Amino acid sequence: MNREEIITTTKRFLSEEFEVDETLIENQKNLKDTLELDSLDYVDLVVVIEENFGFKTSGEDFKSISTFEDFYNFVERKLAAMA
Amino acid sequence: MIIEKENIESYIPQRFPFIMIDSLIHADESGFISSFQVMEENIFSENGFLTEPALIENIAQTCAAGFGFIGQKNNEGPSIGYIGSISNLTVHQLPDYGTTIITKIEITNSLGNIFLIKGRNTCNENLLIECEMKIALA
Repeated sequence: MNREEIITTTKRFLSEEFEVDETLIENQKNLKDTLELDSLDYVDLVVVIEENFGFKTSGEDFKSISTFEDFYNFVERKLAAMA
Repeated sequence: MIIEKENIESYIPQRFPFIMIDSLIHADESGFISSFQVMEENIFSENGFLTEPALIENIAQTCAAGFGFIGQKNNEGPSIGYIGSISNLTVHQLPDYGTTIITKIEITNSLGNIFLIKGRNTCNENLLIECEMKIALA
C-alpha cells in the first residue's frame, strides 16, 4: 500500500467511524481535535486501524501522533516493517 | 469454578439486591465465563422472565468479576470497572425463572486500561442477549 492509498483508506474509515466530513481531515490538522476523540474513542481507533491495515497499536504508539501527517507516517512505517 | 457464589462479593462492587452473577467459571487474558441462576425474587424479574437490564448487568458484572480475578492473580487487587459504552445490543429472548444463565465474555481489544469486549449470555444454549461494551478500569 503506497502513501496515497494509506491516506485515502484512512480518510474513508475515520470519517465513517467518527462521523466527520472527509474534507476536514487535512495533513497538518490535529487528529485528536478534528475527530473529537476522548480516551474511550482511542479503543475504536485501535480497532479500525487493525481492520484496515492489519496491525495492532498500543498506547505508546499514539504518543508520537499529533497530526494526520504523523498518523500517515506512523502507518507507513508499520506497514514497511510488516513487509 | 474459580469464584464460588459465597465469595463473589470480594470481586465485584455491587451488593444485594443488585448482584446479577453467581459464580465465575473461567477467567484468562482472552475472556471470562460466569453462571447465574434466575430467581423469581430478582428485582429485574417480571411476568415469569428475567428482563433485559439484568442481562446487560450480568454481562458487566461478569467482566467485573473476571478483571477482579485476573487483578488479584497478578497481585494488583481488584479494579473498579466503569461501562464506557454499550453498542450492537441485540435481545433474542429472556430466560425463565429457575433456569441458569451462562455468560461468555471475549476481550476483543484493549488500549491501556480500556477494554473492548463482546458479551453474550445463553440459557440452555439459546442465545439471550449479545452486545459490545467498552470497560474502563480504574
